[in-house]
Order: sequence, then C-alpha cells, then structure tokens
Amino acid sequence: MRRFYRLLSALGTVRAQRILGWATGIGLLVTAVTALAVVPADADQGDVQRLMYVHVPAAWVAFLSFGVVFAASVGYLRTGRIHWDRIAVSSAEIGVLFCALTIVLGSLWGRPVWGTWWTWDPRLTTTALLLLIYLGYLSLRKVADSPARRARWSAVVGVIGFIDVPIVHMSVVWWRSLHQQATVLRPGSPTIAGSMLATLLLAFLVFNLAYGYLMAVRLRVGRLEERGAIPVSAPRARRPQAAVAPAGGVSNA
Amino acid sequence: MHDLAYVAAGYAATGAAIGGYRWRLAVRLRRARRYVATTTGRGRG
Repeated sequence: MRRFYRLLSALGTVRAQRILGWATGIGLLVTAVTALAVVPADADQGDVQRLMYVHVPAAWVAFLSFGVVFAASVGYLRTGRIHWDRIAVSSAEIGVLFCALTIVLGSLWGRPVWGTWWTWDPRLTTTALLLLIYLGYLSLRKVADSPARRARWSAVVGVIGFIDVPIVHMSVVWWRSLHQQATVLRPGSPTIAGSMLATLLLAFLVFNLAYGYLMAVRLRVGRLEERGAIPVSAPRARRPQAAVAPAGGVSNA
Repeated sequence: MHDLAYVAAGYAATGAAIGGYRWRLAVRLRRARRYVATTTGRGRG
C-alpha cells in the first residue's frame, strides 16, 4: 500500500508531469497515425474497425481508474488518511471521463456495424451502470458536509461500486450479447492479427501514459485546492474562530 | 454516414475528451494557485 502511494505521489511532481505530458502527446499522435494510416483495415468491418484502437484502451483506462479508486478507498478506510481520498477522487474523475468516452466510441462503432446507436445489451447496460455508479460517487462528494464524512462515504461507494467492473468484463461470457467476446484478455492466445495486436498494445501503453499524466496533474490540483480550501460546490460560510475551551471544560473536537 | 466519418468522429471525440479535461485541470490549477498565493503568499504546488 505504501509503495502504491509513493508511486502515485511521484506522479504528482512537476517533473513527472512534464515528462508524462510530452510522452502522452507524442504517443497519442503516433498511435493515431499508426491506427489510421499504417495498420490494414479489417477484412469484414472495413475502416470502422479502426475505432477499436481507441475504444478498447479507453475501456481499459476506465477499469484501471476504478481499480485505483477501489484500492485508495480501501486505503482510506484502513488508515483514515486523507491523501487516499484525494487519490480516489482524482482517479474517479478520470474513470468517469474514459467510461463516458468508451460508451460514445462504442456507439459510433455500433451504428454502422449493428445498425443502432444503442441497445440494451448486457455489456452496454452494465457499462452504463458503471458510469452512473461513479457519477453518483462524484455527486455524493458534493452532498457531504465535512471532509471526513465525504471521504468515508465516498470510500464505501468506491469499494462497493467496483463490483460492477468484473461484471462488465464477464458480461459477454455470462449472458448472450451482441458485443464481441474478448480477443486479447482471454484464455489462450489472442484472436487478432499481429499488426493489429501490436497497434492495440501501443494504444494501451499510450492510454496508460495518458492516465498517469492526467493523474499527475489532477493530484497537483487536489493538493492545491485542499491547501487553499477552495470550495468545490457552493461557497461555504466562513468558519467561526476556534473557541477557547474553559479550564476543565468539554471539547467537541 | 460513411465509415470514415464514424472513425473521424471517434478520434476527434477522444482528442476532445483528453484535451478538454486537461484544459479544465489547467483552469482549476491556475485558480487554485492564485487562491493559495493570495491567502498564503506562496503559489507553487
């Protein structure tokens, strides 16, 4: 747990941020060029299959983000240290972004291939539920009236909400689904051509870098906002000056 | 709509999502720095 936190703290430094920023920008450019112009189109689906190189890594980053939310939430519930909460909320924001992006990309891919933008398929439905769970997580944080309560409530949702991640992954196995089965993360060897697999792995690497980069920046923002105690939603009333307890008096602290 | 239009829309959405969130973080970072600088006299995070 400590190593995990140290790694994430290292991502919060300015230097790590700059390196990751450049690596991510160049990586995204290289991935886009490779996916759009170098790797051949799919024999069955044609060019529209090129959406796989962004749709699948986006889904992976959403899972990764929610996995980090889960780990950080466990960390907070075990130790009560607020930095775990900062990591959890940072990762949850990024997870929501990539989960929404996954759904949009899937919809753009589904329209020409399935003939519909959306269908209540098990994979799509469980992914939409995943997005709603973490949108709820972020909304809940605006409701809680104290940082400690906000962190505790969020941590509980962060642990319970993660249950949906394996359900999303296994949905195509457990239920009849329009969505294709796993081609890479499956028992046995991947059922995908070598050049496509190489491009997909490159995209995975770059999207992981993007996650690390966005986490680095978001952690800095979180630290600064906590230092300045900037109100996140509604402006709060100014706190009264700390009262001096009388000798022998009872304190609420 | 042509297949390539879906692909272009997908890649544009990806760029917009990542770029847009990074821009949003930059705005929050600037605001937080300014706030900390005015309240504590130190702006670096």
